[in-house]
Amino acid sequence: MIHFIARRLLAAVPTLLAVLTLVFIIVRIVPGDPALVILGDQATPEAAAALRTRLGLDRSLWAQYFSFIGDALQGDFGVSMVTGRSIMAEVGAVLPHTIDLTLAAMVFGVAVGVPVGIWAALHRNGVIDVMARLISLIGLSFPVFVSGIFLLLAFALHWRIFPVIGSANLDDYGDRLHKLILPAIALGLVMAAYITRVTRSAMLQALSEDYIRTARAKGVPWRRVVWVHGLRNASIPIVTVVGLYVGILLGNSVLTEIVFNRPGLGKIIVGALNQRDYTMLQGLMVIYCFLIVVVNLVTDLLYGVLDPRVKSA
Amino acid sequence: MGGWRAALLGSAMALANVFGAQAQTPQATGPTLRVGMAAQDVGRLDPHFAVSTIDRVVVAWMFNGLVRFKPGSIDPAEIEPDLAERWESSADGKTWTFHLRRGVQFHGGFGELTAEDVVFSLRKSGTAATSAFAADYRAFETIEAVDPYTVRIVLRENVPSLLGILTNYAGGYIVSRRAVQERGDTFVRSPIGTGPFALDRVTPNQSAELVAHAGYFRGAPQIGRISYRFIPSDASRDLAFLNRELDLNFGRADQTWINRTRQIPGITVDVFEPTELAILNLNTSIPPFNDIRIRQAVAHAVNRAELVRFRGQDVSREGQSLVPRGYLGFTADVPLLPFDQARTRALLAEAGHPNGITIRVIHTQLPEMLNMMQVVQQQLRRAGITLDLQVVEHATFHQQIRQNLSPLVYYSAARFPTADIYLTQFFHGRSRVLTPTAVTNFSHCDQADSQIDAARVSTNLDEQKRLWAEAQRMLVQNVCGVPLIETLLVFARRDNLDYGYQLRGSMSLGPLITEASRLR
Repeated sequence: MIHFIARRLLAAVPTLLAVLTLVFIIVRIVPGDPALVILGDQATPEAAAALRTRLGLDRSLWAQYFSFIGDALQGDFGVSMVTGRSIMAEVGAVLPHTIDLTLAAMVFGVAVGVPVGIWAALHRNGVIDVMARLISLIGLSFPVFVSGIFLLLAFALHWRIFPVIGSANLDDYGDRLHKLILPAIALGLVMAAYITRVTRSAMLQALSEDYIRTARAKGVPWRRVVWVHGLRNASIPIVTVVGLYVGILLGNSVLTEIVFNRPGLGKIIVGALNQRDYTMLQGLMVIYCFLIVVVNLVTDLLYGVLDPRVKSA
Repeated sequence: MGGWRAALLGSAMALANVFGAQAQTPQATGPTLRVGMAAQDVGRLDPHFAVSTIDRVVVAWMFNGLVRFKPGSIDPAEIEPDLAERWESSADGKTWTFHLRRGVQFHGGFGELTAEDVVFSLRKSGTAATSAFAADYRAFETIEAVDPYTVRIVLRENVPSLLGILTNYAGGYIVSRRAVQERGDTFVRSPIGTGPFALDRVTPNQSAELVAHAGYFRGAPQIGRISYRFIPSDASRDLAFLNRELDLNFGRADQTWINRTRQIPGITVDVFEPTELAILNLNTSIPPFNDIRIRQAVAHAVNRAELVRFRGQDVSREGQSLVPRGYLGFTADVPLLPFDQARTRALLAEAGHPNGITIRVIHTQLPEMLNMMQVVQQQLRRAGITLDLQVVEHATFHQQIRQNLSPLVYYSAARFPTADIYLTQFFHGRSRVLTPTAVTNFSHCDQADSQIDAARVSTNLDEQKRLWAEAQRMLVQNVCGVPLIETLLVFARRDNLDYGYQLRGSMSLGPLITEASRLR
């Protein structure tokens, strides 16, 4: 197992290097001058040139690239060009919020999507199945900025159960949970809808297999047949989708963060892009990529747990 | 499965705890003012780099100038003492001596303000590497500390409003020399001033927390803390305001929003100066606008009254000149061309475009500017001028218009309220884009340079006003730009917030929170 993890982490190094290089190139291809963004619209060319020198942007691209790679390999992403704050400190301040939201949305998506998917599969083409498919279709069609506003109108303004401003005090776990519920539901709704559909189809496939018929013929209780034999065999595609979706949740959380006024990686990335904050963008993309690598690694490990044939292969 | 979940959750919480360390919050007495701002985050909190609305609003609560606009006013005639208790100038207006208040304390135990801090701050403001406003201080020859409480400024040439550039605005803010020297590059995130509020901490993406400066020289503020919250979504900010999670809310310059907000009991909407004047800048150096008939055609096609109806009567008014109304030196006595679509078509035909003309224009995707430009686009289309809008992201827009890539530039801006700044930055030959001294002259006009220059060095206010008026008439006559509308600033507050003054204007682009402001 340890060798497997080490191998996967080593394999991620070229990926991270490629990402570092790509991000470095892309942020410089995009038009827009960071000096103008920082100095504002009254900046003279002289002031802009002075700032570019101060930020190191007057150096050759190669010099900038090697200095960036060298620092990044030592875990130093420097400071934001715009705010002057340390990138690691900035990321550190928002990462817990992003992790909270992603995990909570995932838990909600799985907790709702898997049982409903199974239920729909067990009532194939019945009323429950049709309803589940219809609701999941609506869920997939509802963007988070719509569902989020509806949730806020209902639970924050009408019933006053949750606050509109969702930025929580990280030291207060109660506050953290309280301000997590609505955004997690809004973000998790689409995932739940998707998982419902995948689970339904995977369960239908699994339940039509010979070993299910054999288990039933041997007198294994139906509940055990469904939850142990059926679900375990249907879980590989579900885990794959969940793994992929966690990556999507990390990237797509920006709208949820904006609607619910939560800090997070997505919001910082959008802000850094708008402000042409090269250093911040570079650092964030590396950290984001690392998180995706970790999620994929966990997904692969889960495959081994669910299906021993994967581990032996 | 359960084990894996537990492991995953456990590592996430551990990671969260490692990164989640927060700064300790000092205790403060007095209520907390909660402000909602349309922002992702603050930028640089060194006041000499505070260029965005988001940053300008907050630094105004933390810093003072030698002099200040009377709270609630942007009238240069109402400039009053701030860190300097009095001043005098030589007969030729080139030597100014400022006498500082005694006992003014900086935040965070950085000691008493002295003339050395003032000299250091103004030199910093005038240096391109350490200030975004260096150009404003070009005329300064020397700045020296005569004694610990006296500062002398000697000018190379007269400036139209020396007191104006020493106010609590832009480069006029006074910083602690010791703090800048000790903190170096970190000063941008841990600034030290003398204002009524000191920065406690910034939580990225969430808020800037300020705490009352008990040693403030005008007396301890009645508000204990300010929580300046970054809420970029208009809808969410409004919901938070409705839900009483905010006391003061950045508003929208939109009549529907104003009407809706005014109907909410217990809420007051403040609409105040300075205005942003939107101008269509026409590049007179390249086709098609090197032909004055095409420029006149554009001017005749614009219906300003319709633009005001679109934006809102309470929040906007028709542009009357190439300088915003209310600025020192503004005149409405200029030959603006009237709305006349038939005349536009006739001019186009005369200029060899009987079937109309298509012009490729680069424009920003910033919603407020894009919406207005789309209305202008429709007005021009009705008269036979088709604007082929190339909509780009805002930072790209700023870069490309400075590269002369758009023959027509829609630009909306507020400046220090004297005609000199506006005319110099937008219509002086020295400010033409693509030149070493460029600022924002997109029209490439230079016809009024001698009037603008002469007004700047004149010591006679009447003469200055005459020259500025003449410059405006020449520029309008030459159709260097077409003024569209002026848009005011909007904030909404709960009635329990009393600013302590009547808000008619604020150069910091947001309400000034002073020692007299209170939450009832």
